[in-house]
Amino acid sequence: MLREVAIVGTGQTKYTTTRNEETYEELIFQASRLALADAGLSPKDVDAVVLSIAPEALFGLDHPENWVVGAGAALNKPVMRISTGGATGGSAAQAGFFHVASGLFDTVLVVGAEKQGDTPDTQLILNKIMEPRYEIPFGLNAISMTAFQAVRHMKKYGTTQEQLALVAVRSRSNALNCPYAHLRAKHTVEDVMKSKMLVWPLKLYDCPPRSSGSCAVVMMAGDKAKKMSRPPAWIKGLAATSTTYYIGDKLSGAPFNEHGEWDELALAVKSAYPQAGITDPSREIDVAEIYAPFTIAEVCAKEALGLCERGRACSLDEKGHWDMDGKLPVNPSGGALSSNPISVTGLARVAEAALQVTGRAEARQVDGAKTAVATAIGGTFQFHTVMVISS
Amino acid sequence: MKDQIAIVGIGQTAYEVHKPHQVLDEIVFEAASKALADAGLNREAVESIAIAAGDEIDGRPISSMLEACAAGAYLKDEIKVTEEGSYAAVLAGLRILSGVFDTALVVSWSKCSETDVTRVTGYAAEPFFTRSCGLNYLSAEAMMLTQYRNLYGLPEKAAAQVVVKNRRNAARNHLACFRKPIYQEEVMESKVISWPLRAMDVAPLCDGACALVLASARKAKELTDRPVWIKGMGWAADTYYLGERDLPAMSSLKNAAQKAYSLAGITDPLAGIDLAEISDVFSYRELLTYEALGLCRPGQASDFMAEGITEMGGRLPVNPSGGSMSGHPFLAAGLVRLAEAALQIRGEAGAHQIDGARLALAQGSYGFCGQGNSVFIVGA
Amino acid sequence: MSDELVFIPGKWEIPYHYAAGKVSSRFFVELRDNKKLLGVKCPQCGRVMMPPRGFCERCFVEADEFVEVGPEGTIQAFTITMEKWPGNPDPPFAVAYVKLDGADTAMLNYVTGLDFSDLDQTAEKMGIGRRAKAVFKEKREGQVTDFEYVLI
Repeated sequence: MLREVAIVGTGQTKYTTTRNEETYEELIFQASRLALADAGLSPKDVDAVVLSIAPEALFGLDHPENWVVGAGAALNKPVMRISTGGATGGSAAQAGFFHVASGLFDTVLVVGAEKQGDTPDTQLILNKIMEPRYEIPFGLNAISMTAFQAVRHMKKYGTTQEQLALVAVRSRSNALNCPYAHLRAKHTVEDVMKSKMLVWPLKLYDCPPRSSGSCAVVMMAGDKAKKMSRPPAWIKGLAATSTTYYIGDKLSGAPFNEHGEWDELALAVKSAYPQAGITDPSREIDVAEIYAPFTIAEVCAKEALGLCERGRACSLDEKGHWDMDGKLPVNPSGGALSSNPISVTGLARVAEAALQVTGRAEARQVDGAKTAVATAIGGTFQFHTVMVISS
Repeated sequence: MKDQIAIVGIGQTAYEVHKPHQVLDEIVFEAASKALADAGLNREAVESIAIAAGDEIDGRPISSMLEACAAGAYLKDEIKVTEEGSYAAVLAGLRILSGVFDTALVVSWSKCSETDVTRVTGYAAEPFFTRSCGLNYLSAEAMMLTQYRNLYGLPEKAAAQVVVKNRRNAARNHLACFRKPIYQEEVMESKVISWPLRAMDVAPLCDGACALVLASARKAKELTDRPVWIKGMGWAADTYYLGERDLPAMSSLKNAAQKAYSLAGITDPLAGIDLAEISDVFSYRELLTYEALGLCRPGQASDFMAEGITEMGGRLPVNPSGGSMSGHPFLAAGLVRLAEAALQIRGEAGAHQIDGARLALAQGSYGFCGQGNSVFIVGA
Repeated sequence: MSDELVFIPGKWEIPYHYAAGKVSSRFFVELRDNKKLLGVKCPQCGRVMMPPRGFCERCFVEADEFVEVGPEGTIQAFTITMEKWPGNPDPPFAVAYVKLDGADTAMLNYVTGLDFSDLDQTAEKMGIGRRAKAVFKEKREGQVTDFEYVLI
């Protein structure tokens, strides 16, 4: 990579189911303002803007990027919107990086918002993402597509529902330390097991909340960032992999052909880790902010990221490996199981990672964290992004 | 801007009113394959993919779930933008400039036959203050024209001539959809759909897809001895609020053009550019674009048109491909303009080739009254 | 001044009619008229794709060779929906990806004839690797719901 890119400011609003006090545009404005203030900058300092928004059907506006130009500090500036389903926040952060790395812009604002509280049911819309010729009639949604993943992982590794429950317990407990988090609770495994079965084997507590809110990140060219009043976080490595929509094409168990494994994320880190000089992620990564909207998703992600061997994430969970006081804390913010403002869940992971490595994560700080990984996921587990962020 | 990003592959499907024989994925695949073949690359060799598409036009939230791999993204680094087709080229260009990628496949499409595009544009009106007024891309444009009319008078004849010109040009473009000639009277007597906009002032929608392969300087030299260099690119967006804009001034387009000119070292576009492929999503829009691009002064587009400068045989032919008046694949239009500009520079535009084309301008536009615009300068 | 929050109702009603295209249309017509299931074979890698599509996204080549598959196959993944969502069928209902004999990829459809009174038992019964069969409805319309799976 030729030009160094830093993260010099972040902003997040509190995530809740509904945000009835603001319009979508106003949410974008809030996050923009928060991030710019955090960076000690004003809108005129922004050279270009990347909007992190998808899918807009969740809040009912075609081309919402048009509406929020002003709110995103982008008036008469170069602005574009990224849209890759759930991966949007991660992809938008990558687009922000490329804007700076291109050499054309020094300061780039990446901002997005989610307002799924304006629609009565998220899954109604997430049913419509399915293939219209062959899969729409089957009542699928994000939960069922994940259920297929759980079923495969359970078959291959003997993963149990109780083991998956540990992910929910840990995430919602961590969220108690995060001022922005939506769902915060001290569950027990039993609470999770007793929660309503939605799509077998996934129960209510295995699933994310519907969250609304906004997030923004300010990126800056390295030489300029070094002159800011506070040491920034550095984007050391990044990559993305997309794959087929067809879950049915990925059920043979062969590499890249297994819905129960995230081989595509493993492929992405094969590129991202060397960029960051990481050879042993299980030792060199201090904290992971993983976009895992379901318990099983976090299991698959940790294994694909090489934070542990395939099939071992659950047994390590039983030993407290991923806990705040464990060897490799995952989602100190509570992650997507606590807050899932879809347009920006991936961007919030980047923001949280940046806060962690600069020692600004307050009550959810992982002591001595220097290197973090942030991921995002979209589609039928087909769009994967990863970023390595360090001090 | 040094020669750092080249267009090394171009692929377009035929533009047709209706493509029922192909599901959308297959149309996207066709354009992507054609661009790869033209570049002499197989899919494995491409390092990154950038696509531009819109959920509501495609008919599914997260529409790229199905189309990404049709656009070549299987196990690749792929990213999607939504403004319009040319923006995928912008982002792909930035990724190449960063030095991280040497190649990019850029794809955009629209299958307008499958839905009511005008109605879709109505959902871009925010629901609090404008949606209930039936604001859509037609009524918005019409309002811009009332402002222009108030300042300079309505250039009806010149606008009709835009349609005549572009349809005449389309007869020489075998990919174009609407190739029969049109007469000024037909346009000026067509039904008023949103005063003062008439039915034939509106570019007719079609199905189609377009793809480009971009490469870094190093890679371009390996692949072709006729790279088309991106000499300059600029993009910008105006405020969403129509009531706050001086609409006919199209400031974001002026802004985008200035950035592109500056990078390309152009001080006098009329003198420096050999041809332009621009947005004629509406007949009048082409005229307003002449003004915003600085080809003529504000209010002068009518006279400028009458001088014949932008006709095929004129000093600066505009839309030799036939533009959107020959078929408007809605969201992909700006990428088609860029593809056509590149074909011209290569000398491969066939019957609609402009002789000696060395520097061309391509423009993409989106949003009500052209809220956002991108401008590319491409050359040999 | 009032603190009242106002809500504006809205509903997106955008009509669509998606063209299945030449290749998929053949699938639907055969299904409707002849109770046959057709996959499409990639000329390069040879994989038989179900459901059929006009190109292979891995080899990036066109594909139009039809191959009859099934009607029996093996369950590759499944789930049971217990919750009612607007626009969805009433729960409980089960769906599964079945790799029909002769195909290299699996195709989704409802699994019928199941007893949902003991979920874990049903899940055990349906399991990955179980054999299933496509059965065709009496009245067929040329849509994917013209058939469904039963365990065998």
